[in-house]
Amino acid sequence: MPKTENGKTQISRRGALLGLGASAGAMAATGVLPGSLGFAQAQSSAPIRIGFQKHATGIGAAYGRWYDATTTAAVKRINDAGGINGRPVEVITEDDGTDPSRGAEVLEKFANQHECDVAFGTLFSHVVIGSAPRAGELKLPYFVVSEGHHVASGMLNRYTLQPGITDVKSQVISMAPFVADNLGKKVTMIFPDFAFGHDHRDFFSEAIEAQGGEVVAKIAIPPTETTFTRYFPSIPRETEVIYHVMVGPAVLTFVKELGEFFGPNRPELFGFIDSLEAVDINSTGLEFLDGTYFWEGMPRYAQANQTDAEKAYRAAVGVDDNGASLDDPADVATYAHMFGCWETLNIIKRGMESADYQGPQDRTKLIEAVEAMSDMPESEDHPQGAKRFNGKTHQTFGSQYISKVTDGKLVVEHVASIEDGLYEDEVDYTTQAF
Amino acid sequence: MTRFFNSLTPVLVAALACWPETAAAHAGDQGFVLLLPTTFYTITGTLSVVASMVLVTCLRRGVAAWMFTPRSVLRLPSAPEFRVVGLTSVFATVFLMVLIGIGLWGPNDPQNNLLPLTFWTLWWMMLYTVQGTLFDVWRWINPWTGIAKLIGVGDDPPIRVAGDPGVWPAIGLFVLFQGFLLADIAPSDPKRLAYIVLVYWGLTFIGIALFGRRFWLRHVECITVLFNLLSLLRPLEITEQVRIGLPGWRAVQDRRTGLSLSLLCLTVLAAGSFDGVNETFWWLVQIGINPLEFPGRSAVVNVTLFGLGASIALLVAVYAVAVWVGVRAARGLAKETDVSFAESFRAFAITLLPIALGYHVAHYLVSFLVQIRVTLSTAADPLARGWDLFGLSAVKVTTGFLNTPETVKVIWLSQAGVVILSHILAVLMCHQIAERTCRSAKGVILIQAGISILMIAYTVFGLWLLASPRGA
Repeated sequence: MPKTENGKTQISRRGALLGLGASAGAMAATGVLPGSLGFAQAQSSAPIRIGFQKHATGIGAAYGRWYDATTTAAVKRINDAGGINGRPVEVITEDDGTDPSRGAEVLEKFANQHECDVAFGTLFSHVVIGSAPRAGELKLPYFVVSEGHHVASGMLNRYTLQPGITDVKSQVISMAPFVADNLGKKVTMIFPDFAFGHDHRDFFSEAIEAQGGEVVAKIAIPPTETTFTRYFPSIPRETEVIYHVMVGPAVLTFVKELGEFFGPNRPELFGFIDSLEAVDINSTGLEFLDGTYFWEGMPRYAQANQTDAEKAYRAAVGVDDNGASLDDPADVATYAHMFGCWETLNIIKRGMESADYQGPQDRTKLIEAVEAMSDMPESEDHPQGAKRFNGKTHQTFGSQYISKVTDGKLVVEHVASIEDGLYEDEVDYTTQAF
Repeated sequence: MTRFFNSLTPVLVAALACWPETAAAHAGDQGFVLLLPTTFYTITGTLSVVASMVLVTCLRRGVAAWMFTPRSVLRLPSAPEFRVVGLTSVFATVFLMVLIGIGLWGPNDPQNNLLPLTFWTLWWMMLYTVQGTLFDVWRWINPWTGIAKLIGVGDDPPIRVAGDPGVWPAIGLFVLFQGFLLADIAPSDPKRLAYIVLVYWGLTFIGIALFGRRFWLRHVECITVLFNLLSLLRPLEITEQVRIGLPGWRAVQDRRTGLSLSLLCLTVLAAGSFDGVNETFWWLVQIGINPLEFPGRSAVVNVTLFGLGASIALLVAVYAVAVWVGVRAARGLAKETDVSFAESFRAFAITLLPIALGYHVAHYLVSFLVQIRVTLSTAADPLARGWDLFGLSAVKVTTGFLNTPETVKVIWLSQAGVVILSHILAVLMCHQIAERTCRSAKGVILIQAGISILMIAYTVFGLWLLASPRGA
């Protein structure tokens, strides 16, 4: 299908326009769309409508843009392969402004105005948490791509699922074995002093102790700080590894000052790529990161052992081998997270096929079908790697990547297994009535 | 309880993020800005403004007036009648209605819909600037004048208002507009915006029909009033002569500025300033919000409206004190007994207008650079039918230039340069008005005492705003 601007395809543009869904469906049904297999075998040629809750404006917009590109690419692939149950997929995009109250309004529009079959795509936790109760009230399946622990923690409801991206708790605890075995057992944690940083502190402290290590210092940085040097003398001399999860505009300053403080004689450094998502690792001030380690949800740089699935996915979403836009090598993608949209859409497809989904009356069957899923092998549907979905907690588990900054690139050093990230269930949503 | 991404404000959130409010997200380049020696730049910039003040006080009396005297570059056989203006205005109305249609029935994503893109990017960000610097674009595209004339509405209105209400109604509407821009939870939502624009257009048209075109557009319709005010800053004027002068030459001409117009100048500057402040870490901390965990606009609607109102009140109060200090000094120390506070308050307010324009340009520059690409690429296919009009689909929306220290530095210095130049122009205008107000050289200097301090403080404030980390 010919691409238009910004990596969007024509079907996305049409699909976004209210009232044109039927014509898109009709075109697709007759196989007019280039590359389409056609949807002639469908009982109904009306499209499956997926409401995409997009962070088009607000603090999530940089993610929203890439989530959009990934969603568009994934839907194109699904449609090219015949759609879902023989019907084309249409994406209805609404901007939630990265705002929970607006997010809830958007879900209402999806259910009542656009007659969407499911809602999908939310990233920021506060929007998920603000929207999920409304999804439950509307009885609208709500597939989030947020990697927050709120789904598996049990605070949401049976209509909210996170099957395409792992959660932060799993990510953090799966790092502990590698850190303890390869970088050191005495860890100093530097984190922003609020819920996000506290989660890292709590999850990792417990996990590293289970590996025979210990956190020798926990340095909480007030979120308003833009200079950090005065905190570094608190790093104990015995520290073997610094675990850092700073976020916000001052991250570059943090790294630069850390480099100035330690010079060449530094302990090992381990961080989460969230700090530098969409930032060029070769940016001025980041030289100090050479030789340090990062968690990556999915490797930003194409690796030597790149799979065909990853290669196809990377091309489809318009990202080059360095993790940047094919249109602009300086425009780095949110590559560690956006795969979640691709994989979630493929899971929605499989769920609908398995439930023989025909329309909104089958929404609960769809949820039950997804809840019944478990192991998903690495494939073009799952280019990030194999997944294991837990139907009770509505949360997926998967591989995690640890990469080392080497010659200005992130090179994967270790792949944490699904088992490394498992933890005990905190909820069983399947016991909740629909 | 784990709350992960709500806390995650990425370093390089792209500039397209929060238009029109252009909040944290538009501070995509913030990580690199924080690495720049902005304190040094701020000191240098402020010293430039101070130097311009010192320099201007050394000028012989009359030099400022000479500087603000326009030069005639062309004499036309007669004043251009611009009959086409009526036609372009009608076209603008049709275009607006098409945009409203796209807003109502077009794509839901504001980044794919021409109504919000045209409204905020082309009109509010770009035409505002064009109106204040290049030419009277609003006259050509005013969506009421042509159609009203065409159907004979507003020439002989049924209701005639006695007396001059000034621009008080326009100030009220402008504050409402700013409130919408800053505090509404979805000012870019295509449908929401379409309804608001349509209602405003309709009410204005009814106002014109009932009260007359001239009355409504000069006193009530805030955009025409604002854009006419900005016109005073343009260097070029086309009447029977084509005249060009130092920007602001029309603003400092001896004219009687009404109190309401003075307050409009202050309101425009205060609202523009708050539009920057409300995104800063500093402001978020004041209102009890973690700047790394901005909860969304819906959580700050009331406090933002309060901040807007408080900013206007504060600037009016500070300006009044500044004028009062100058008047007291001139009267007491230079025996300028004819100088009055009320007259000076009205006269000097216009000198803050270039600062407001400078802030506008600096504030929206990064957003504009991204959004103009989004707008152009969307214009290729405004109805989302897979078209490629004018080959515009070749425009790629990428934000790599915000990810590159060199371009971030150039952009930041451009923003700072605009802010500094606008202050220097304000200093010159202030001096010219002071010469008009006071007889003695000493009086001219003293009457500016308070406003000069205000302008120096505003320079520091403006550059601090550009350098501040943003979280909303």
